Amino acid sequence: MEVLQYIVRKLIAGIPLVLGVTLISFVLIVYFGPDKTYELLGKNPTAEEIAEIRSQLGYDQPFTTRYLDYLREVIRLEFGNSESTDEKVSSILARTIPTSLALAIPGFILGNLLGVMLALVAAYFRGYWIDKFIMGFAAVGMSISFLIAIIGFQILLSSSDGLDLLPVRGWDTSTPLQYIRYVTVPTLATVFVALGYNTRFYRAVIVEEMTRDHVRTARAFGVPPAQLFYRNILKNSMIPIVTRIMFSIPVIVISGSLLLESYFGIPGVGKVTYDAIVTGDQPILKAVVVLTAVLFVVAQLLADICYRIVDPRVSLK
Amino acid sequence: MAAGTNKPLLSVRDLVVEFETDQGVLRAVDGVSFDIHAGETLGLVGESGCGKTVTGLSILGLVPSPPGRIVSGRILLEGSDLAGMDEVGLRKIRGSKVSMIFQEPMTALNPVFRIGNQMRDVLQRHQGLTRLQAHSAAIEILAKVGIPEPAVRVEDYPHQLSGGMRQRVMIAMALSCGPKLLVADEPTTALDVTTQAQVLEQIVRLQQEFGMAMLLVTHDLGVVAETCRHAVVMYCGRIVESSSIDELFARPRHPYTTGLLASIPRATEERGDELPVIPGMVPDLLHLPRGCAFADRCPKAHERCRQSVPHLDLLQSTRTSVACYEPNA
Ligand SMILES: Nc1ncnc2c1ncn2[C@@H]1O[C@H](COP(=O)(O)OP(=O)(O)OP(=O)(O)O)[C@@H](O)[C@H]1O
Ligand SMILES: [Mg+2]
Repeated sequence: MEVLQYIVRKLIAGIPLVLGVTLISFVLIVYFGPDKTYELLGKNPTAEEIAEIRSQLGYDQPFTTRYLDYLREVIRLEFGNSESTDEKVSSILARTIPTSLALAIPGFILGNLLGVMLALVAAYFRGYWIDKFIMGFAAVGMSISFLIAIIGFQILLSSSDGLDLLPVRGWDTSTPLQYIRYVTVPTLATVFVALGYNTRFYRAVIVEEMTRDHVRTARAFGVPPAQLFYRNILKNSMIPIVTRIMFSIPVIVISGSLLLESYFGIPGVGKVTYDAIVTGDQPILKAVVVLTAVLFVVAQLLADICYRIVDPRVSLK
Repeated sequence: MAAGTNKPLLSVRDLVVEFETDQGVLRAVDGVSFDIHAGETLGLVGESGCGKTVTGLSILGLVPSPPGRIVSGRILLEGSDLAGMDEVGLRKIRGSKVSMIFQEPMTALNPVFRIGNQMRDVLQRHQGLTRLQAHSAAIEILAKVGIPEPAVRVEDYPHQLSGGMRQRVMIAMALSCGPKLLVADEPTTALDVTTQAQVLEQIVRLQQEFGMAMLLVTHDLGVVAETCRHAVVMYCGRIVESSSIDELFARPRHPYTTGLLASIPRATEERGDELPVIPGMVPDLLHLPRGCAFADRCPKAHERCRQSVPHLDLLQSTRTSVACYEPNA
């Protein structure tokens, strides 16, 4: 019950954020975005033709009316039809979001799981060659650009110069095997780059926790290393770890899928968004912007609930 | 203390501990030797930074490494050398034969586990108890250290307890496996004055009840006077005086000990009188003088004191050892 109340309270508190984001993006999309008027008109239009098109598009309405219309769409989660394909925006999203998730989740999980594991190993052997090796690897991951990593794995796994095992681009989830074949290269590239940043961050968190008094106490009572790492170090590092994981969700969903999907030609939200930016498809852009803001609010909410789970000192007040 | 034929429980010999720092090698403990007999309390006193905690940590093999390490010396517990022992061997001893309680009760317990859970863990590991047996044993020992409603408190997280209660939990945990030696590193320093007295009294009472030996680390000579029969005084990583309490208070031999004693507030003194303080500052351990580390602050220092370090030698016809060329009569 306490948790439920908390969730409701937090969601209400998230409303101003969503409103702020919608307002700013509305201004950017509608007033600085592409103007459709002349695309829909023939050559040398008359003033009346222009005015007619503008009123059809709703461009002649005052700002407040247009913004309130948008908010109404937001509340009903109904953004009209795509301007380029005329498909309903909601059905486009329903079709593409699962694809994006299927693409992003393996890399996301592996990037964090391996990051924590490598960080634990590096922290345990800090100063030794294995630590230096892991951190060197992380530095490489951090300094190589995402695109280079993708191309590198493509050459390695998908080209005739390399192993030539996997498809170069595209997407197919008809069978689990096909899914794995298509998801591997983008996942490897994501993990390679994410691992660089994650390992570094998690190692710093873990090393800091290792110097705490309670770790010394545990050692003074004969706690063996594996248990020490789990019960004292990892458990107490969960707050920064959870924070990083939760707040990387929106970033991964947006920027990660935008680049990956347009590069590999994968029909997810990222690809749709990319196309919408290029063609100025306002209904889609408006929907994506709202979803992103909501995603931030939800990620923060999840983070808070996780804090409560991992740390008894946190109360949901 | 009494030079009987029975062997000491713990015998520390020429212990040297160094830390690798950015500015160079820092010798935190330099040739420290002392004995503790079964059931006895030895006081270890000295100013902040003189190496008391590091000495205590060395006994359990807990000197943080890197940067620290035991360079030389022996730490004999019932004949086996803890200084040369591997981690696996040390782990069996930590918390069972030798326990340690720490200076900072607020942070010494794991914040994300209930205290019962942390206590059970120790009991199950060292005593081979079942979970249920360990649970009742934990409650029993919590009651012993004066925690009200132990069966309820055992379900608390550390943050739900006051500092004094947390330190009691630490004591309970330390005693739970019936250790032969307790290293108590300033167990009451972080507590408020009334709690200090209670907790200290509790420790002494339990020490007698359990018949264990104790190394009581403190910078408070008053505490030493109440609890110990023998004490060693440390300065800059070295022992400068080792003596029975009666002797130490009646006839301090080292000028540093004299200074320490003079700076204890006494109830009889007029309020407002300034306490005498030892002039000068503790030298930096990285740049110790060639001779006696106390020479620059010592009223009796002369040329020889600045040239070479005095050894800790037994004074003739006493049981007091002192490291000074000009000990007080
Ligand atoms: N981890 C460490 N790294 C470097 N130097 C250290 C470390 N731990 C202790 N030292 C040094 O060792 C010396 C002795 O420290 P120690 O903690 O034993 O002092 P102490 O007598 O317990 O003082 P206090 O009364 O403040 O607790 C200090 O000068 C300190 O700077
Ligand atoms: Mg100390």
